[in-house]
This record gives sequence, C-alpha cells and structure tokens, in this order.
Amino acid sequence: MRYIPSTKEQQEEMLKAIGVTSFKQLIDSIPDSVKLKRKLNIPSALSEFELDDKISMISQKNVNFQKFKPLVGAGAYRHFIPEAQKALLQRQEFWTCYTPYQPELSQGTLQSMFEYQSYIARLTKMEVVVPSIFDGASASAEAILMSLRLTHKNKIIVSTLIHPHYLETIKTYLAPHNIIIEEISSENGLTSLEKLKQSIDNDTACILVQSPNFFGGIESIKTFSEIAHQKDILLIQVITESMSLGLLKSPGDMGADIVVGNTQSFGLELDFGGPHNAFLATRKKYIRQIPGRIAGETTDKNGKRCFVMTFRAREQDIRREKATSNICTNHNLNVIASNIYLSLMGTEGLYQYSLLNAKKAHYFEKKLLETGKFVTKYKYPYFNEFLITYKGKDMERLKKVLIDNGFVPPLLIQKFYSDTPLQNTLLFAITEIFSRNELDSICNLLSQ
Amino acid sequence: MSKIIENLYYSKNDEWLKDEGNNIMVIGITDYAQDQLGDIVYVEEIKNGTKVSKGDVLTTVESVKAVSDVYSPISGEIVEVNQKVINEPSTLNQDPYGEGWFAKIKMSKPDEIKELMTSSEYNDFRKE
Amino acid sequence: MKLIFEKSIPGRVSFSLPDDLFEDIKIEDILPADFIEKDKKNLSEVSEVDVVRHFTKLSKYNYGVDDGLYPLGSCTMKYNPRINEKMAALNNFTKAHPFAPTELVQGSLEVMFELNKLLCEITGMDQFTMAPASGAHGELTGILIMRKYFLDQGQNRHKILIPDSAHGTNPASAAMGAFDVVEIKSNENGTVDIDALSKAMDEQTVGLMLTNPNTVGLYDEGIEQIEKIIHGKGGLLYYDGANLNASLGILRPGDTGFDIVHLNLHKTFSTPHGGGGPGSGVIGVKSNLIPYLPTPLVDFNPENNMYIFKEAGTKSIGMIRSFWGNFSVLVKTLCWILSLGPEHLYQASRNSIINANYVLTKLKDYYKPAYDRFCGHECTLTGREYKKYGIKTLQIAKRLMDYGYHPPTIYFPHFEPYADETIMIEPPESEGKEILDSFINVMIKISQEAKENPEILNSAPHVTPVSQTDDVLAVKQAILTYDDEIKNNDKLNYSDENINF
Repeated sequence: MRYIPSTKEQQEEMLKAIGVTSFKQLIDSIPDSVKLKRKLNIPSALSEFELDDKISMISQKNVNFQKFKPLVGAGAYRHFIPEAQKALLQRQEFWTCYTPYQPELSQGTLQSMFEYQSYIARLTKMEVVVPSIFDGASASAEAILMSLRLTHKNKIIVSTLIHPHYLETIKTYLAPHNIIIEEISSENGLTSLEKLKQSIDNDTACILVQSPNFFGGIESIKTFSEIAHQKDILLIQVITESMSLGLLKSPGDMGADIVVGNTQSFGLELDFGGPHNAFLATRKKYIRQIPGRIAGETTDKNGKRCFVMTFRAREQDIRREKATSNICTNHNLNVIASNIYLSLMGTEGLYQYSLLNAKKAHYFEKKLLETGKFVTKYKYPYFNEFLITYKGKDMERLKKVLIDNGFVPPLLIQKFYSDTPLQNTLLFAITEIFSRNELDSICNLLSQ
Repeated sequence: MSKIIENLYYSKNDEWLKDEGNNIMVIGITDYAQDQLGDIVYVEEIKNGTKVSKGDVLTTVESVKAVSDVYSPISGEIVEVNQKVINEPSTLNQDPYGEGWFAKIKMSKPDEIKELMTSSEYNDFRKE
Repeated sequence: MKLIFEKSIPGRVSFSLPDDLFEDIKIEDILPADFIEKDKKNLSEVSEVDVVRHFTKLSKYNYGVDDGLYPLGSCTMKYNPRINEKMAALNNFTKAHPFAPTELVQGSLEVMFELNKLLCEITGMDQFTMAPASGAHGELTGILIMRKYFLDQGQNRHKILIPDSAHGTNPASAAMGAFDVVEIKSNENGTVDIDALSKAMDEQTVGLMLTNPNTVGLYDEGIEQIEKIIHGKGGLLYYDGANLNASLGILRPGDTGFDIVHLNLHKTFSTPHGGGGPGSGVIGVKSNLIPYLPTPLVDFNPENNMYIFKEAGTKSIGMIRSFWGNFSVLVKTLCWILSLGPEHLYQASRNSIINANYVLTKLKDYYKPAYDRFCGHECTLTGREYKKYGIKTLQIAKRLMDYGYHPPTIYFPHFEPYADETIMIEPPESEGKEILDSFINVMIKISQEAKENPEILNSAPHVTPVSQTDDVLAVKQAILTYDDEIKNNDKLNYSDENINF
C-alpha cells in the first residue's frame, strides 16, 4: 500500500532481526479472548481515483457553496481569504510538523505564534495573548474558569446575548463545579444594564458579555467594566466577529480584564463550523493563570534572538491535575493561517475591510426597510450583523426565494430566543463579499 | 553531592528548619531541592500572619520544567516573610540555606520538632 | 530572523479594494463616535511579495513529516496523504455555513454519518460524537459523561483512577471534572498493578482511565482482570485512544470492556498535526451512554432519505464547543479509512509494531530499554548509562538534530523506577525499513560520541537555525509580543547579527 513502504521481504528481514518467526509472537501479550478474529467489516480499499470520485460526489450533495453566499453569520462569517495565504499554508513545513517542543526545529511555528500574539495584542490593547483555544465557546469557558481561580468566588454573570452555543458550553464546563450562573436578559437588543446592576454582589467572580452581541449590537463595555471594577469583578468580553476589531474601540481601552475572540474571520474557512480558533487575551499580572500555550522571546546560546513556548509550568504535562487547563493540542495551524491573513491585510487593509463590512451591512438594512416589507425590531448600534422583522406572514416562502436564488438564508432568531416579541425576526450578517448590485437584487427578491 | 548543613532540622519534603529561639523556626528548601528544580523563576507570595498547619502548602516554587509545592513542616503562625526570595527567585538557587529562606514561623506545637530529621538522618534519606 | 513588523515600510500595501467603497454611507451616521477607534490599529505595512517571502523563509525553519522521520512516541507522526487534503478543501465543504438549512448540506452530514459507522466498527463502540476538538477535549467530554451517568443513578462517585504512566491530560481533564485523582502504580512489567487497582476501586470511584497499549508502548495483559475489577464495583472504563495505531484490526477497545473511547484523529488516522492542531478527539460510547453524548448527533431519516441533526435528550451533557465538530479533519479521516480498507488498516498496525520492535531490538544494547519485553507500536529506551559521561538524555535528543532527525519523545512518560530518562521512539508504518536503519545507525553513532566526545552532545545542536535556547530567560523577561520587545529595547540591544539568519 502506498502509505506503507516496507515490502514483504523487508518486513520478513525485520522479524528475523527481532528474533521471531511470526508477527503473532509480537502480540502474544494480548489475551486471545480479546483479539479480533475476523476482518473489520468496512468497505474494501478504494484506489485514489475512486476515492476522489466518491468524496467529490458526496460533496455534490451540498449545494454549490462557492456560489451560495450566506446571509447568516451567528458566529461564523464568510470573508474573502487572499490566495497568497492559501498558497503559503500549502507549505508542508507549516502543517505536517509537530507541536514546537523542540524550538531549534520549530522557529517557523514559534515566530508565527509570536507575530500573531503581537497582532492580537495591538488589536485588543491587551498585554498577554494566548493564541489558540479551540473556539470561542471553549475559550469562554476557560476564561470563566480562569476568573474563578483568580477570585476564589462562586458566582458568574452571563449576558443572554452571548452566542447560544457559547452559553451552552459554559454551562457544560461549569456543571461539576457548584458555581451559580446568573443570566442577564436584554432590553432592546442590548444587555440590560439595570438587571446587571441588580445581579452583582460580593460573590461574583466575573461578568461575561459579548460585543458585538449575538444580535450584532455593540455593548457599552466601558460602562460594564466600570461597574465590575467597583466590586473587584473581572469583565470578560467575548467577540465572535473579530473583523470588528479593525474598526471598533479596543477591549483593553474599555477596561476588559479578559478578552476571548473567535478568529474564524481572520482567514479561516467556514468549514461547516470547525476547526476555527479563538484567542484569550488578558493582563500580564494574570499570566500564571492563563490556559494553553504561549510563545515568548529569548536568545539561544550564541545570542541569536529566537522564540520558545514559555510559562510552561502551568501546562498539563508538567502540572497534571493542577494545570490551569487540560488543553494540549489546540488549533495552532489556524494561528499561522490568521497570522498570514493579518499580514496580508495590514494596518490599512483591516481598517478598510472593517469599514466596508459596516457600511455594506447598514446599506443593506436601509434598502430592506425601503422595501416596506421589513421593520426595525430594536434600534442599537451594530457592526455587520443586525435583527430585522419581516412584516409578511410566509417565512417559508422567504426562505425558499433566497435559496432558489443562491443565498443561505438569515437566521430565524426564534430558533434560539423563543420570546414572543421576536417572531418573524431575522438575523442578517453582511460582509465585504457582497457587491452593491447583489445587495440591491436581494432586496428586490425579498420585496416581492 | 548536594550540600547539607549541620545544626538544622530537615523534613522529608526537602525543607530545612533553623531554630532561632523563642519557638521561632526559619524555613527554607535544601540544596538538593533547588538542584532538582533547576533555575527557579517564580515564588508565589506568602502572606505574613497566616496560620498554617503541618502539611499545608506554604508557597509554590516554579522553574522552567517543574512546579513544586513547599509544605510547612510545622504548625504555627507566619511572623516574617523573606521578600527577597519572592522578588529574586534565583536567590533560592544561589544561597538555599542563607538568603534563600522563605519565612519564619512561630510554632504552635513545639513537639512537632521530634518528627523532623537531623542533618545526618537527612543525609541518609537523600543518599537512597 | 526579522519579524514582519521589522520589515514594515509605511505606505506598503498587500491588500486590494473594490472601486465602490460605499462612500454614500457615512461612518459617523451609522456608528457613534464613542465606539470607533480614533487611530487605525497598527498591524504591519508590507507588500504581498514581502509576505510571501517572509513566510516562505519562516517555513524553512521548521521540520515537517515530509522532511523525514519524526519518531515521537505517542504522537504517531505518520504521512499525511495529499488526496485527503484535496478532498477536505473542496469548496462545497469549506464554504458550507454551519447554520445552513440541513437540506443544503446533505453531503457534509453524510460525511459525519458514514464516519460514525466506520469508527464504530473499527473500535467496537455503538455511537460516536464528532464534537471534541482534541484528545484532551475528548477526555473532558468522556469525564463529564461519566459524571452525569452516575449522578443520574443517584450515586455520588467523586474519585477516578489514573495510572502513574498516564499522559498529563488525563489527570488534568479529571480535575476539570472536579474528580479526585487516585494514582495507580505500574508494576515491574510496566503495566497496571492489579493489586493496587483492586484495593483502590470502590463504589465512590467512577472508574479507570486507561491507555492500551500504555504510554510506554506495552499492551496491558491484565486487561481482563482490570475490566472485572472496575465493572465489578459498577464503574466505567475509559479508553485513551492515543495509541490506537497498535490495535487497528488486531483488537477493538469495545470488545475489551471499554465503555467510553476517545480517538486522536491527528494521530492514528493520519490527519496533519498542524504544528499543534487542529486535530480531533471524537468520543465513542456503548449504547447505555448514548443519551449522555453532547448535542446534536447526525441521524438519517429513511422516510425521506435525508440526513438530519438530532437534538440529544435531557440526559445529554450539553455542548462542549460551538457548532458540530472539526469538519475538515473528519473528511480527511474518512478518506484515510476508505483508502486503506480492512486489509491495510491491519497492515498499518502490524507494520508499526514490527517497526517499533525492530528499533528496540537494534538499539537495546546501546540504550537500555525500560522494560525487557516486546513492545507495541512504540518502544521505550533509556539514556541512563550516559549520565556517567556527563550526558543528559536531552542532549542525545539535541544531537540527533545535527543528523537531520527530529528527536523522539524524551522524559515522558516518567514514573520510577523503570521509566526514567526515557527515550520513546514511535516509527509509524509510513516509515520504511531503510529509514529505520539510517536512524538506528545514527543513534549508535551518538552513543559512541557520548563516550568519546561528550562535549559535542552537550553543545548540540550545531546545524539548526538556532541552537540551545535560554528557556529561563524567556520566563524572566516575559517578552510575549513585539511591543514588549520595544519596551525592553535598551536591555536587549539587538544588532542585526542577533536577528538575521
């Protein structure tokens, strides 16, 4: 088989050198009762061209997603990925290699991590950046666990306007730990400040709020952090649309103590939901409580600047049950992918693309309202994602019209928020990939 | 060969204790312990005035490749903390029996001394 | 090498913009000034040419599986087939939105459904969840399932048994599940001490986490007794599948009594390691635990021939990540299994075991093995005898780099008295005999150098882009971003010589 080089003769030579007459002697220590006595009941091996055919045919059972642009975001955003990034990621040295435990052979990976940490630090105005936790949901859970370790308190406050999957994941991670989770409901599309003020007490470890939130609304992080800090509570900001960092005020300037950011928007494919990536950024004084791997700068014995994984004493291989997290393999290749993406965007590019996202989304909302078939549900400032209510009755028809014309429909918000005022309300996300003509024709379709 | 000083008491967890009189013991870690850890980069803050029981974690010492809990070999109250070791962790490597002391504890159960080792007992213990 | 920031020249661009910049929409009309950053956030300013050159050069400082042997024990660094990459990169897969209506993603759902069937057959389990993103993530999922299962039975079990040979993620995951870890010693054969296990297992213990073959590459021949002890007290058996490469077509964990199994798709199943992921740690369970799996699962409705998402019931532990799984990794896994079929899956394990035992046989006179017996798909040697020449096992590893090899796993696992100064070598089935012979010869050469010329080991590596790194300095100076470096400029005083290579 082409992935198993040793020939029959070579295998015989090796068995002879080992000093056995048959392979079976090598697995003698396995009790006979547990050995498999039949062939695995799976399809016979496919040749490469048969595999290509089969999997390509399965992929054809999806619609043509190259063509089908999504009008939905909700934690996964389709942005354009420059071809140079894809070409560079083809280099096997980036993706066939192992975790950079041997820095002498891993400067490519380690320097990329360092550059990426530097980018995210500048975008968030935070001091320390953990470049990779699997996704925004698990990273949010890790951020909360971190805040519990730092404060030794028993209660957390979470806005209901964080991504529903993130809220679910947080509950799953916290289930073993006897922690009170208080959810703060929203008012007019933003987290209720009043309810938050009523909720906080001396037993609160952290407040977790997403901005832009699940409805797309931009929250007043500055106000939240001021309230939090009065009682020594940590403010955790979650970001699901990292493109917003190109335009909006940095979490660090708004007083966030921990920032968790889903970076799928930085050069990662939608990939039907994964693998994406998330960073966790925080203050330097919390460095010994961060989960996951981080790269740092040092010199080698000849004085050359180089990079290594550092602050490793927190990690599972050294600390075992006292580690800050069990995380080992993360999504490191996606760190390199995002690093290359941000290098290709650069200062000006990220700003311009962020601007385009915001402008196109607001243009589209304006056009939708002009059709007379839609009405604004809540008025709140947003980046590239917003709620809008359909005045018509036939949601199925609306969905069908969009699909028939090659668009993935927006999210029907009641799927996650079954409160009455949100009937027939859709969550649209518009990124730079839509042209003005396209946006106009979508509105045209929906106005009929 | 790691250094062992006479006239000190020793614990199985590689801590040394020096009797300062007045029921006060100075606590540190032995030469063997600092050598095992390697270059020490961090020592966790110790709070003056804390009451400890024998076996409680006094502080945590971190090197590049390991983290070690330092246990209190006796019960009592912490009456003085050596900030130097907290601010310059490498002191532990350079002078584990001198400048590298952690804290002074006023014993609440002086009988606990009987459970400690002498320098020659510790020497034998570590020889294994 | 220079950082991208050090290559920045103001005004350089690497992006493109359309003509229509929507100037008719004024930013001040749509967003309050309070929310907008006044100054642009400073990233880098380079051209596309600069970026391509920068990352091309950076890549050359890495060593990949395509460069040569990567004998890391417990990592299974096998060849990553290119056809799998092509299939995972198909646009219909990569551009599928996770919230697309299911009728638009029947292909993606079919991948997940078919993969489940294959993995169940390969492992002897009844149902898999594709949600966990890594082995450790899978462990946490399994632990949360165990916890919920016993709570449902009204049992308050708060302890979990973990061998001293276990990978660090096992106790770390157990701690995240708020379990008390009880460590079980290994016996002189390198496997679980049955007496110790029997004494430790009780009705306050959820069960045992076991890797089999274990982390020193040995099959645990006590598996039948272990199963009786754990199940005998109503506990559950968890299988850490990191070493499944020794078992394909030979045995199935589901047949040996395991209730929960995690697989590392980026190990056994050939998906790329990526420099630290993304991989996937899918979890398989026996039927009585299916209700506890994370939500949702992929199902098939025969009435309309459609794949659907099925929300798990009230017993589910919930979600452990957003969306459904590391999909591209699942595609690659499916491709690999379909490319090998039953005959070659067995050959993969068979060859990995032959390879490891061959290396063990050829090197045991130079590096005393931790255990004197045949191994599984990886062998554990030790570098103990070279201490007397002033050589640490670490330096043997570093010297290997001078000969063009990535070192094996060193100092793991570590449990006295046998697994000490360990060198764990795993030569997967994708390594041919002549590769092993070259590696063996180099290891023998290094053992001679250790005696005759220890200095060359202690100063290694010599030919890599950088030499021995100062890990202590890294923690002390805590320079974790370029801005940290700028702040410390006076202290660092770098010249071009320190940077350019």
